[in-house]
Amino acid sequence: MTIRTIEVRERVMARNDEIAARVRARLTGAGVPAFNLVSSPGSGKTLLLERTLAELGSELRIAVVTGDVQTQNDADRLARHTDQLVQAVVTNGACHLDARQVETALEAINLAATDLLFIENVGNLVCPALWDLGEHAKIALFSVTEGEDKPSKYPNMFRAARWVVFTKLDLLPHVPFSLERAVDLARAVNPNLGFLMTSSVGPHGLGEWFSFCRAQARRGVLV
Amino acid sequence: MHEMSIALEVCRLAGDRLGAAAPRLVVVGVTVGDDAGVEPENLAFCLEALLAEPPFQGASPRIIREPGDALHLSYLEVDDDDQDD
Repeated sequence: MTIRTIEVRERVMARNDEIAARVRARLTGAGVPAFNLVSSPGSGKTLLLERTLAELGSELRIAVVTGDVQTQNDADRLARHTDQLVQAVVTNGACHLDARQVETALEAINLAATDLLFIENVGNLVCPALWDLGEHAKIALFSVTEGEDKPSKYPNMFRAARWVVFTKLDLLPHVPFSLERAVDLARAVNPNLGFLMTSSVGPHGLGEWFSFCRAQARRGVLV
Repeated sequence: MHEMSIALEVCRLAGDRLGAAAPRLVVVGVTVGDDAGVEPENLAFCLEALLAEPPFQGASPRIIREPGDALHLSYLEVDDDDQDD
């Protein structure tokens, strides 16, 4: 037996990151800001997008790629609110989207006729933090029915995110959740985070989010 | 959970590096940083399962811990006396 060592030192994520860079260049070239929505399951990603498509669909051309472990239920829900194509990616057990899946999904989307792209990742605060999909920024949704210490428990995700969108604020009077503490803990992990407050239930809870979407579409890829 | 995806990618990289006339792979060394977001024991378990199958046939994973967020296929150990052809 003659054992020989081959030095490799190759990044495991190199291939994904290479595809992600290609996706980002394509989106940037087309002037389409792209946001990767990440969160734990049940934080309200799909409902937020439903309300967004319903409210802004007449003024902004919003494309969506959804990722789910099984079923294309989210894509079906979203498709009811838009004439734009909603691309469903079923990961068949994988706990996150990867850049290759997004690149494939984009083939069916007319980027020249798109103002804004949302990628709704699989609900999971661990795995999606590692995978660059070619987005311009990650947006972490954080519902007030979760623990305030989510940023401390899942620091990689809150480090990777550019914005945190608090959801379900209509439930705040009924749950023991301190927004101030949650913001402090998120800032302790990532001082550069921006914060948005939302409630997708009722008529008045998404003004700040809609303004954000309009501003991002206006700014183009300068996120 | 994403450790299986990472293990698959490690095996792809190892296969690429060994090429067609592959010597028998004995050890796959993977560096996992403390902040890499990867659970080392879980990754080793996934690698053991994948490395038990052809074309690897029983190679062992070796996880190297270090500070930071590195996630590398660091080295391969091969047995040059046991060519798989």
